[in-house]
Amino acid sequence: METAAVELQIPRQIQVLPTDDHVAAVKSKSRLSMLTCFHAGYFRISLSLCGQALLWKTLIEPTTDAHALRAVVRCLPSAAFLLLWSVAFLTLLALCLLYLVRCVLCFRSVRAEFAHHVGMNYIFAPWISWLLLLQSAPFLRPNTRGYLLLWWLFALPILALDVKVYGQWFTQGKKFLSMVANPTSQITVIGNLVGARAAAEMGWRESAVCMFSLGIAHYLVLFVTLYQRFLGSDSLPSMLRPVFFLFFAAPSMASLAWASISSSFDTCCKMLFFLSLFLFASLVCRPALFKRSMRRFSVAWWAYSFPLSVLALAATEYAQVVKGAVANVLMLILAVLSVVVTLLLMVFTAIRTGDLLPHDDPFILCSFDSNLH
Amino acid sequence: MDGEENVGSTKPVSPDPESFPSLFSYITSKSVAGFDITSSPQGDPVFATAPEAKHGDIHCTTLSTSSPTSPIQMRPHHAHSLSISMPSSPSAFQLEHSAGVLESEIDIPCAIDFQLNHPVTSATFQQQKQAKFHSQPMPVRNFHANTTPEIKFLNPLEHPQRIPRNSRFKDKRYDSFKTWSGKLEKQLSNLRGKPQEIEEIDDAKNTKPEAVPADRFFDALEGPELDKLKESEELVLPEDKKWPFLLRFPVPSFGICLGVSSQAILWKTLATSPSTAFLHISPAVNLVLWCISIALMGIVSSIYALKIIFYFEAVRREYYHPIRVNFFFAPWITCLFLAIGIPPLVATNLHTGLWYVLMAPIFLLELKIYGQWMSGGQRRLSKVANPSNHLSIVGNFVGSLLGASMGLKEGPIFFFAVGLAHYAVLFVTLYQRLPTNETVPRELHPVFFLFVAAPSVACMAWANITGDFDYCSRIAYFLALFLYASLSVRINFFRGFRFSLAWWAYTFPMTGASIATIRYSAEVTHTFTRALSIALTAISTITVATLLGLTLLHAFVRHDLFPNDISIAISGTPSKCTQKHTQSRTNFFLKNQAKSSSPDDRYIEAGPEVQI
Repeated sequence: METAAVELQIPRQIQVLPTDDHVAAVKSKSRLSMLTCFHAGYFRISLSLCGQALLWKTLIEPTTDAHALRAVVRCLPSAAFLLLWSVAFLTLLALCLLYLVRCVLCFRSVRAEFAHHVGMNYIFAPWISWLLLLQSAPFLRPNTRGYLLLWWLFALPILALDVKVYGQWFTQGKKFLSMVANPTSQITVIGNLVGARAAAEMGWRESAVCMFSLGIAHYLVLFVTLYQRFLGSDSLPSMLRPVFFLFFAAPSMASLAWASISSSFDTCCKMLFFLSLFLFASLVCRPALFKRSMRRFSVAWWAYSFPLSVLALAATEYAQVVKGAVANVLMLILAVLSVVVTLLLMVFTAIRTGDLLPHDDPFILCSFDSNLH
Repeated sequence: MDGEENVGSTKPVSPDPESFPSLFSYITSKSVAGFDITSSPQGDPVFATAPEAKHGDIHCTTLSTSSPTSPIQMRPHHAHSLSISMPSSPSAFQLEHSAGVLESEIDIPCAIDFQLNHPVTSATFQQQKQAKFHSQPMPVRNFHANTTPEIKFLNPLEHPQRIPRNSRFKDKRYDSFKTWSGKLEKQLSNLRGKPQEIEEIDDAKNTKPEAVPADRFFDALEGPELDKLKESEELVLPEDKKWPFLLRFPVPSFGICLGVSSQAILWKTLATSPSTAFLHISPAVNLVLWCISIALMGIVSSIYALKIIFYFEAVRREYYHPIRVNFFFAPWITCLFLAIGIPPLVATNLHTGLWYVLMAPIFLLELKIYGQWMSGGQRRLSKVANPSNHLSIVGNFVGSLLGASMGLKEGPIFFFAVGLAHYAVLFVTLYQRLPTNETVPRELHPVFFLFVAAPSVACMAWANITGDFDYCSRIAYFLALFLYASLSVRINFFRGFRFSLAWWAYTFPMTGASIATIRYSAEVTHTFTRALSIALTAISTITVATLLGLTLLHAFVRHDLFPNDISIAISGTPSKCTQKHTQSRTNFFLKNQAKSSSPDDRYIEAGPEVQI
């Protein structure tokens, strides 16, 4: 009962509200109930794996720069990349199916999740993962019809969610941004930027610019709000501190998206990349921030991997443009770091699967609460 | 770090292993009772209680008179509170603290009254100074848990040679602000062969000064530069004495270097820019100003370096001060200015390594300060944002300006990007003037001129990066101009402020705006732009000259150029009344948060709080 609830900081008062029936239902450890407990936070795993796949694909691509570092990377067997892509695909598929089951069986808690200030952002995660997978697909070229159809399939939900979430920020009475904003809100921005990049790769510049501007405008607002850290906005529990890494994921993604739109890694992209590099350095210098969350393995740890992959991607693009020793070393370090972190996370998951699996549904109690009100 | 340990903790202080055996406490308490009854004007022995190791720089403790177990509170020291009033209940001394040493903190020869071994002078002192009673203050010097006070009490006559020099006694009060609590000084004086002073008295086991949390600065200080003490607050250093010069030398003194070095750049630009060539300004002006600024920088840095060496704790407190921390960027920005304004006679091409060397400290400071904004505890931006934060942003733009003019490409863009992102955040926050923001001055103050600094330098930096004064630079320039105009028309409201050295730092934005205007007039050559550039130059020069006059006036006529730096001497623990106030405020917030029963409702409840 404690772990996931603690993770999402469900207030204690709620935990005493349910009646005995509900308590019994929650306490039962049947397979079915565990299956329905996979909340959207588990999509961090798929985000990370798909981000890794995209990174590997970019590294393997032949480039104009015949620098030694990229050549070394290209020595890696393409089988390794295919394996990774398949693993990512299967994981994403499995998670989506599990979430579908949850939607069907436990719709109330899905609704409660959607109303939660952290949970609602992770509803974007599956669509982002699909888009990343699409971009890294080894067999699908961007100029094919299939790619286009799939892009529409995955981008439309993002746009719909945008309208819902962003509209809430400035219109709805209860959830004003100054109170709701937390580092996971940047996932919404990343969703737009990933969609923009995928569209730009297809050649659809207008849609790309549209999604990019949506993402950037809200990123500006969010960036300022998060930095200001209003009094009531420390609503992120310490278990979720790894999501602070999203601070540098968003500008890296923006830099990649703009590079795709403008077909070159120009000054604007460089500035966004440097900003994310600075934020990365700033977070890495503060290990104390993450100490509490590192005490116990949880699905929140998977939040480390995706931002590192995106940063490494941006560094790759940067190194390609600025052909210098420093840039290449930077790219190598970041790429190795992201690969190592992802591998470590996979190892941890394999060893401590028990810690990772959900033992309870943190939102089921929220749903009771919403019923009572 | 938070003053939790300092605030009246009810937990008993664990007795130090070398402290008084309880027998002695008993004996001494007995004697206290005796004095209490006799109420002799001389000397009631003052018993100090040693707080636990964490408390440091306290110079007087107050034993609460209510009960023995009542919390020990620390009151800031007052030199004249040598009224050695005793706690009415002798049982208060049965606490398990070792009694501290009683040292005189006054500079009256303490030869008298030594048989009682107390800081003396109580009687004479009471006659001389106004006794200030605040609930039985106990002036104590240092807390020496490990001293052997029993010696003092039992053999008071054995230390007649402890007649200290006046100056030495005065120094002791500042020990907590010294590096390693004064041990460094002793080491140095030992090295120099000065006579050994009585070590056991001077050695304090726990004079580590208390860390002052951010909240304390807001509670204790007020004013646009957070340098005025609120009435309810007290200092830990004597208010009526002139403190050692190094303690009075604040970090905003680097503002002088900022102001003068930016003037050097201005006159260099005037001499070299094609649009002002008609003025025939001689490059000698730049040379003279540059040499003056080098000299000033050398002087100020060496003095401050001495302060770091000898009074490190004071420097640390300045670092914790929400406004002063921004001035730690000032020396590096000055170095950058000096590099930008270097006369052609001295050097034309600077080595690029110099840029990396100059930017490294700025980079490290930034990582720390911006990281604090994002995630560091109490120092959230919605609370601490103030116009002085511009100093931490401007460094980025100045660095990128220098780097681009040196021919570097990536580094300047890096710092420009970081500066721009954080400038956007700061700009929005300051414009919002959030209700939770306690540091934005309510009235106009010269510090507001710092608003002009960032856009004017950014526009020149961008022009150097792209090689052309394009639209982005123009946008930044017009923004700077607007802010300047907006402040200038309100010049009437900049009145009634006490002059401080920090004002020098506020002149460099004006100079920056003038330089940007000269650059702009070189692009857009028109009579109006030229007139504007001359006008702005004149304004900035006159302002600097006026400031120079004011500085000289305060330095040589009024002798108050370096007043006691009270901002760093606030006590780490709030006084009782402010404590209650803060506690009630915190309780209010906590209550509201606990009241809500659902996550959503919690946000509604929290909403109005923000408006408070």
